[in-house]
Amino acid sequence: MNMKKLDKSVLKLWYSRAVIISLVLIGMFASVAVILIFAEAPSNVTLAILLGAGSLDALLLFVTLIMPILRYKMYSWGYDDRRIIVKQGVIFRQSVVIPICQIQDLHQTQGPIMMAFGLSDVTISTAGSNFNISTLTTKEAEALIDDLESILEARLEEQKNEKI
Amino acid sequence: MKRFDKRYIYSSLLSDLFSSLVLIFVVFKEFFLGDEANTEDIIDILPVVAIIFAVVYLCFIVYRILYYKTSGYELTQTEIKCNRGVFVRKRSILECKKIHAVNKKQNLIQRIFGVAVLTVDSGSTNTSTQAEITIIESEKNVDELLNKLSALKDNTANALVNEQKEEILLSEDDSLYRFTSKKKMLYTLINIASTAFFTVLFGLLAIIVLSVCKLMLQQNFLGTWGEYLLYATLITLGAILLFSSFSFIGCMINSFIGYYNFRISKRGNDIQISFGLLEKHTNTFSYDRIKAVKISQGLVQRMLGFATIKLEVIGYTNDTGNDNNSELGVLVPFCKYDEVSEILGKVLPDYIPDKKQTKSVSYFPFVSWFMLILGITTSVLLLESIAVMALLKVPSTVITAVSLAICGVAFVILIIKLISAVFSYKNNGLSASIDKITVYNGGFTRNVTVFKPKNLIATENVATPMQKKAGITSLVMHLKTNSLSNEVKVNIQSDVITQDVEKLLTL
Repeated sequence: MNMKKLDKSVLKLWYSRAVIISLVLIGMFASVAVILIFAEAPSNVTLAILLGAGSLDALLLFVTLIMPILRYKMYSWGYDDRRIIVKQGVIFRQSVVIPICQIQDLHQTQGPIMMAFGLSDVTISTAGSNFNISTLTTKEAEALIDDLESILEARLEEQKNEKI
Repeated sequence: MKRFDKRYIYSSLLSDLFSSLVLIFVVFKEFFLGDEANTEDIIDILPVVAIIFAVVYLCFIVYRILYYKTSGYELTQTEIKCNRGVFVRKRSILECKKIHAVNKKQNLIQRIFGVAVLTVDSGSTNTSTQAEITIIESEKNVDELLNKLSALKDNTANALVNEQKEEILLSEDDSLYRFTSKKKMLYTLINIASTAFFTVLFGLLAIIVLSVCKLMLQQNFLGTWGEYLLYATLITLGAILLFSSFSFIGCMINSFIGYYNFRISKRGNDIQISFGLLEKHTNTFSYDRIKAVKISQGLVQRMLGFATIKLEVIGYTNDTGNDNNSELGVLVPFCKYDEVSEILGKVLPDYIPDKKQTKSVSYFPFVSWFMLILGITTSVLLLESIAVMALLKVPSTVITAVSLAICGVAFVILIIKLISAVFSYKNNGLSASIDKITVYNGGFTRNVTVFKPKNLIATENVATPMQKKAGITSLVMHLKTNSLSNEVKVNIQSDVITQDVEKLLTL
């Protein structure tokens, strides 16, 4: 089975999200600093709190900014006429195998930022769990859904003939 | 369309009477029992309370009558139809061959009036919290419906409607399983021992925190804040002890009243489980609707050699909205672990657990990540606390005490994890064959889950790059069920098993 990488435009989406989260983190840190200054807290208390909050904030900021590229490098997916495989995870590598005959519904989802970048999520529902292939280009997502539909129909037809 | 039994109105109105009284009491509690309550005020307010009570109760009466008038059901040879609801009308049609489970439920008031609630479920995802069909009928009619539906579901209506099925009782005097008073008492004590174990553990952590609080008070550090912290810890400890006492009472009630007259019977292809004194349950489901059997052993249960057998049946679990309601998913509440195979052999012969073919290949991965995260968290917390306290010019004795407390708590957590990891290392394992898959997992609580490969929906491998190099993986199996807990995980196995399970998945 040929495993595919995600399109590079996915990075734009993930970095847009990372920037939003980073701004929120910086904003939170700035708010704490402003409150402490306006409350006229003793300088050693201000320093102690800013040191604690700042180190935590810096750690979170680092993780937020490094994650998209690592996630992109580790993500791959592929399918044939029997199964779909999704590999992902930065620290813990996950590999999910979903048999095509177990698919119940297929969903394509787009948020406003995803629409702007021409990207889509595909959710595969089975009788037990939902599995997500994030984030494909809208063209890839549509092609995947069409392919899976036709494979599924062919498999069902095969099963009917086997029963007859 | 046949209406529900009229006695439904009376039984519901009696329980509504209690509900209305409780509601009124809660609203006007301050007037009757408040500090400023006096007899004259109570007499003055009584007419108002009576009018409000009458209005509330009238609403219940109108609702029940409307519900009765607008609800009904119809059973044909191929399907069951049901209309119900006052504000939101619901019309359900369920084909008999799609029935997954038929359950009968009767609370104390319904038993007084001789009515029962029958729920019929298709097992679809949108009915995981509520049954598709609900019928409120006389107990006799519900029993008849139960038999008819059970026969129609198997497409053997003509043959079985008037014919009594062969019934094998498994919980009478000469039967295999009886939930005796002795077993119930033991079951209660073991549950209490488990609660006590965790209470002691919590107590140990609380002592560490308390000693630091005491030292802070002696040093007059934090002033009233130190006192608040001390009181908060004491209150939490008290609450945990109170919870243990309530848990004992709750467990006693559950064992003796909830499991009263516990009975398992096998009728043809159907399995029927009935139990309960105040609320009587009769749950019927086909053998082929069972998705998995889970044998659980808590730490104390395992030390004494006992186990609980639970079932995973689509649509069977409950109609209460609580997906983790273990009471309804229980096949055998309490038995000796050695008897499990014997009991399953009689009730569910296809689900006798196989012996482990694989076991965990290494102990260290069970604790490595936990130790790393705990180490980082403890170090950051320790360094930041010391830095903050030094900047605040806190006395060195307090800094030492706080540092020791943080290290002490981390040490206790680490010891618990190391012990739990030993159990996980010994427990985890798998056996996969074309007939069934048996998964052994869990730490303090050991679980053995048995299911058929046809109910396996997807598999998921989880491994770090280093584990991958060493040929180690953890395998998550997704099962076909509408329950929330539809995953079974087996940890730190040789990655060869992944291919074996994947073969079964795509068969």
